[in-house]
Amino acid sequence: MTEAAPVYTGVDDLRRIARELLEAGDVRVIIGYENARVGARPVFVTDPADADKLIFDTRCVHNLVTYLNPRRDHVAELGKIGLVVKGCDAKAVAGLLRESQLKRDDVVLIGVRCGGVLEASELPAALALTPENVAPRCYGCDNREPTLTDHLVGEPQPEPPRPVMTIDERVAALDGLPAEERWAFWTEQFSKCVRCYACRQVCPLCVCEQCIVEKTQPQWIEPSAHPRGNVSWNVTRALHLAGRCVDCGECERFCPVGIPLSLVNRKLQQIVAERYDYKVSDDPENVAPIGDYRLDDQQEFIK
Amino acid sequence: MTDGTDTTSAARGTAASSGPPERYFLSEADLRSLVGDLLGAGTEVIAPLATDVCQSPSAVAASACTLPGAAAVDIDYRPLAGADELDLSRGLPQLSLKEHFLPEHEALCRWKQKGTTVEVEDVPVEFAPRVVLAAKPCDSAALAVVDQVMNWDYQDELWNGRRAATTIINLACPVIDESCFCTAVGTAPDDTKGADGLLTPVDGGYVLEVTTDKGRAFAAAHAARLSDDVPADTRGRQAADERAAARARVAANLEIDAASVRDWIGTHFEDPLLASIAIRCNGCGACTSVCPTCHCFDIIDEEEGVGRGTRRRCWDTCQAPTFTLHASGHNPRDDQNVRYRQRINHKYSIYPLKFGEVLCTGCGRCTRVCHAGQDIVEILQAIDIAARRPGEAAAEPAPDAPEPVTS
Repeated sequence: MTEAAPVYTGVDDLRRIARELLEAGDVRVIIGYENARVGARPVFVTDPADADKLIFDTRCVHNLVTYLNPRRDHVAELGKIGLVVKGCDAKAVAGLLRESQLKRDDVVLIGVRCGGVLEASELPAALALTPENVAPRCYGCDNREPTLTDHLVGEPQPEPPRPVMTIDERVAALDGLPAEERWAFWTEQFSKCVRCYACRQVCPLCVCEQCIVEKTQPQWIEPSAHPRGNVSWNVTRALHLAGRCVDCGECERFCPVGIPLSLVNRKLQQIVAERYDYKVSDDPENVAPIGDYRLDDQQEFIK
Repeated sequence: MTDGTDTTSAARGTAASSGPPERYFLSEADLRSLVGDLLGAGTEVIAPLATDVCQSPSAVAASACTLPGAAAVDIDYRPLAGADELDLSRGLPQLSLKEHFLPEHEALCRWKQKGTTVEVEDVPVEFAPRVVLAAKPCDSAALAVVDQVMNWDYQDELWNGRRAATTIINLACPVIDESCFCTAVGTAPDDTKGADGLLTPVDGGYVLEVTTDKGRAFAAAHAARLSDDVPADTRGRQAADERAAARARVAANLEIDAASVRDWIGTHFEDPLLASIAIRCNGCGACTSVCPTCHCFDIIDEEEGVGRGTRRRCWDTCQAPTFTLHASGHNPRDDQNVRYRQRINHKYSIYPLKFGEVLCTGCGRCTRVCHAGQDIVEILQAIDIAARRPGEAAAEPAPDAPEPVTS
């Protein structure tokens, strides 16, 4: 199943562009991917001579846009950023632009044409994608070639394989259950939560300076990791991302106890698509329902 | 909250016990019967338990969470419902053993407000005797390390009560991967630190070695299930060989001079190596949640209706900005590099300087759980190199353009 080791095309161009940007002083740091002791991981290249560290293959699952998040003071201190973005990542950049968390001139975007990534990045070498190992979120990707970029590298890529079970199929399976069983499922999943807030920290679009869970006067969400507090937290987190989530899957990937957050996120995407005819894209002008006001809004209560 | 017995010395007690270790043999079936005996007597038995998360709550929902690979299985230290649940082939639990001594959250007291008066009600706590079977040596050792701070300027009754009531039998670690480094921080895959005994798999069963009074009492209580048949040239030798091989496998991952690392960190607070240590870190704090030695907690009041509520303590993390946020709005640890440096500093310098022990047992969970690629093995290696050759480390990246620690 794993004959080929697809390093995506365009890596040479990626390294050249990164080197040129650093040499010209157009950016102070390139944030991309490198080979680590175990698998691929984010790298911060500040010296043009280190541009050859950059890689792009099926292990490059991370959404690096999280480093553009205004909460990342220690990254901002590095100076202007050049960022490697896949199509899904570019949607997160658009989200930050849309919500005035970032200025377009603050970042140079090096887009990579992507044919999907693996479920796990912690592998010694890249693997060819198969139904068993592909990140389920990649199935049906509508942005294999990002448009919100300053540079674009690589050749057009084919569609990623269909996973053994798609996220939509999983959501449908849950939807098909009686409410009490669905509730039991989610109660059990959320009861595992240790309230580390990794899901929030890694999310490129969790931009609040003070998260609602940190508010104590009044205390909206109980901070203890008991089932009641956990359900409040997880449901609130999900709702705050409704119509904003770009489906990068980082919340689920970082969850140390394995809560299937992509199922919650996808369900909300489906609801937003149905109710507001809205789909997240990498066009910053494509205003999200949560940040939009229209006189012809079908919701009576808002008038 | 406790019954006034001397829980403190018992908690610290494992090291205080004397006498040579006693060795026994028990077959797989004997072990299962022993667990049955314990459960039959109403004793809680905690062991690493694997749950296929997709088995619940129904077959259909099950398919909804089926991910290919290991993500479908949760391994955790949990109470056994029956002896047949015991499965010693399992890997490292996601969360360490600390959750059974310092739970993620626990009620300390409840309050009721009536007019201008506040009624405070104690929460009764019972420390029933229990047994942990097949604990990972890095997890039991962590309890012994944390015992120190829990009995420093305040004796933590809840921690000590649970420590005293618990007999811990380790399993010589069968799951060593590239993130393990217990031997570099003073423990080992076959250590009994913080525990009362050790099981080592041999042909046909296990060699049980008990090392403390609590462990000897455990062996005496279950003598019917144990045999003395541990000949030095067969079973005894096999167990010793297994243990030596495991030590060698871990040692190949990392070797540091912990004392030099401790002193170097203590004297290089502003060194670029430490100041830029967390550039890729997301500050999620998952590392502290899964860490067996991270013990910081927050005490919070949760309202449960008008004028009444519960005071709880729950895990906190030094990786969150709120950990050090002052009421004035000032935050002395105001970016992630500084917060991460604190974690490294506390574990490998502050704690050893104060208590003589590294606040880390090399379980490697922090590395495995970090999907941003913060790698504690690599970081300790870099600090160790800097500590041995300070001249070269000083020539690392300029402060205005920090680089990741190593790449």
